[in-house]
Amino acid sequence: MDRWILGSLDCWAPALQRSSTPTIQQSNNPAIHRAINPPIHKSNTLMRSRDHIGYLFVSPYLLHFAVFIGFPLVFTLILLFHRWDIVSPMVWVGLDNFAKLFRDNLFWQAMLNTGIFLLLHIPLQIAVALFLAIQLNERIKLRGFFRAAFFLPVVVSGVVVAILWDQLYAKDTGVLNALLAQIGVAKIGWLTEPHFAMPAIALMATWKNVGLYIVLFLVGLQSVPAQMYEAAEIEGANAGQKFWKVTLPMLNPTIFMVVILSTIGGFSLFIEPYIMTGGGPMNRTLSAMLYIYKQGFFFYHMGYAATLGFAFAMIVLLVVVLQRRLVERE
Amino acid sequence: MSNKILHGRASTPFSPAHRFSNSPTLFWMFIILSLAGCRSDTKDSRQELLYWSANNPYEQSVAREIVAAWNAQHPDVPVHHQPIPEGQSSEEVILASIAGRTTPDIYSNAWPGDVEFYVRAQALLALDQFAGCDSLMNSRSAAEVVAQARSRDGKLYQVPWKTNPIMMMYNVKLFRQAGLARAPATYSEYLAAAAKLSNGSSSWVGISDIRMLWWQRFFDFYPLYLAASGGKGLVDGDSVLFENASAIAVMNFLQTIYREGYFPKQKMTTTADFFLLGKAASRFTGPWEITHADKFKPEGFEYDFAPMPAPDDHKGPVYTYGDLKNIVIFSTCQRPHAAWEFVKFMVSRSNDLRLLEIASQLPMRKGMLHDSLFVDYFAQNPRMVAFARQAEYVRGIDQSPVMKEIFDAISQEYEAAVVYGAKSPEHAVRDAAARVRLIME
Repeated sequence: MDRWILGSLDCWAPALQRSSTPTIQQSNNPAIHRAINPPIHKSNTLMRSRDHIGYLFVSPYLLHFAVFIGFPLVFTLILLFHRWDIVSPMVWVGLDNFAKLFRDNLFWQAMLNTGIFLLLHIPLQIAVALFLAIQLNERIKLRGFFRAAFFLPVVVSGVVVAILWDQLYAKDTGVLNALLAQIGVAKIGWLTEPHFAMPAIALMATWKNVGLYIVLFLVGLQSVPAQMYEAAEIEGANAGQKFWKVTLPMLNPTIFMVVILSTIGGFSLFIEPYIMTGGGPMNRTLSAMLYIYKQGFFFYHMGYAATLGFAFAMIVLLVVVLQRRLVERE
Repeated sequence: MSNKILHGRASTPFSPAHRFSNSPTLFWMFIILSLAGCRSDTKDSRQELLYWSANNPYEQSVAREIVAAWNAQHPDVPVHHQPIPEGQSSEEVILASIAGRTTPDIYSNAWPGDVEFYVRAQALLALDQFAGCDSLMNSRSAAEVVAQARSRDGKLYQVPWKTNPIMMMYNVKLFRQAGLARAPATYSEYLAAAAKLSNGSSSWVGISDIRMLWWQRFFDFYPLYLAASGGKGLVDGDSVLFENASAIAVMNFLQTIYREGYFPKQKMTTTADFFLLGKAASRFTGPWEITHADKFKPEGFEYDFAPMPAPDDHKGPVYTYGDLKNIVIFSTCQRPHAAWEFVKFMVSRSNDLRLLEIASQLPMRKGMLHDSLFVDYFAQNPRMVAFARQAEYVRGIDQSPVMKEIFDAISQEYEAAVVYGAKSPEHAVRDAAARVRLIME
């Protein structure tokens, strides 16, 4: 085995030596000893060169990291303390951007909207995905077709889905209102009435993403041992009791994963309000991401947009850390 | 990254290891040379002027014809025409080109609301440094239009080129059914027609996109405000001008319309054209709608254009938003005098006529209706006469580097007060003014 690879074992050596179990380095077998401690003589230079060749292999990623992650990150940190409109020189403003953020009601409204979206979207996502996953886990006809059909929206472009639903939701020409009219329900301004707009977007986002979570729940359902259901049946449990006492507890890790993935996805809500509502009506669908985008690319307040982005990242971090703690406690 | 880091100190010059470890150097050289090679052949090397026009086919045709005529007459100062590169908006493309210092020499579709922003970035040449600039401007356009084009520093950076006045396009038959022999001219007439249409034929009196998009106010609040105020601007320097009775009257008028259901609370992203379907009796739009309407109108559909409705006690001419697009020369231009000569050529009488004939867009030229060169055109295109008359009373955008934010602030209050009735017109105008003052601080 090449020492280049085995060398990585060196870092474990002290721990291995502390161990009471004889290690391979302590082995008396001469073959093993030679394999892990080859004689070092004239090839030393070559090896050092080989080590440096490693830089060549990682250089594409390093270049990518430097250009697309490292530089923007450092630049964003610089922008936090400046006013800059892209074409004029930067102006140092100290902590003015942060002071403005705390006075900016629209940003906090956008955060509230994002929170409302998460509260609507996550439970709906879990309920619908779990229900459909249970149905698709049964031996039903055309099961493969339905599994593919429910997954299809996941691979369709978000912009296309938003445009499609925009048409479905249209007040006077939309299919949804036409169907409701059949049962005598008056036309609803799905995207133009302040109370309906965010729930309508949450419904659309659920339709778009539910396929992914169905797959996750299917994996979870298929890993529940059949013996547990058999034992429950022997104990006389009915279908409801089996669901609440066996299925749901066994799916806890999957549910937490779905919650975390939905939370992260929900925080990045952008395409739907951008295409369908522009943040209206009455700013009720203005998401944090959309507001940051508008500050940066509509009004060219790059410094302030960077500050909003930084604050938003801190809030997301806080929420994810809290969720993680909760998961670990569970 | 230094070679020492890349291939170590101890390799001998001719060893295989050395040859191999030279690869990173070669790799980086390849990358750097490749990136350097990405720089395109720019206009500097060709000694020709680069002119960007709008990228719609009609204006491209106009630009091609003007450039061909110029190049035939001035072979020593060739101009290369290129439609503005595709982007989400032309403003965004111009901004990117300013940031990248890849601006053209001349651009003919500059929105006046952005000009002050470009001036602040020192991206434009002041045109009044050229001999004959003032006389050209004043002989071609009204003094009021030239005054509006002047920047806050007192200099002229743009030549007012063309205008698309926003007017009321109306369905002649529907208004006739509502008992009107002519288009409603005042708020009372408009609301009375709205009530009759609503009761009689279940039609809306008009339609406007309710989305809270800043530019959407060019088609409702802003032209109505200009009509009501006699062409008064929104801001002047750092002063707010729109906190007045005219703005409140407009908000009140529009609020009544939405409250009574005379306009639908509708986005305009749906495919149906409610005006051509005869469902809405009017809309506030520009002359570009003529081509569309003539192409898609149903059999027997009659439409016409009239000035924007004004308050009942309004006196004097009815102003509107002109949607002006102007010509600018960027400061990256290496041959500014030659560029200025080309701009003068662009706005000549004969080229203004070609702009009308090919693109159906009105040059910002005064007295066209009585100019012998234009008489035949207007005789053959009577619909454009109304726009030519209205062009005498248009206003563009005030000179402020934060115009988009000002319109965004007004838009927010407009939505709250007019569309959803969440606050009174007085309250909405006061809040919008307060927010604009904060923006301009």
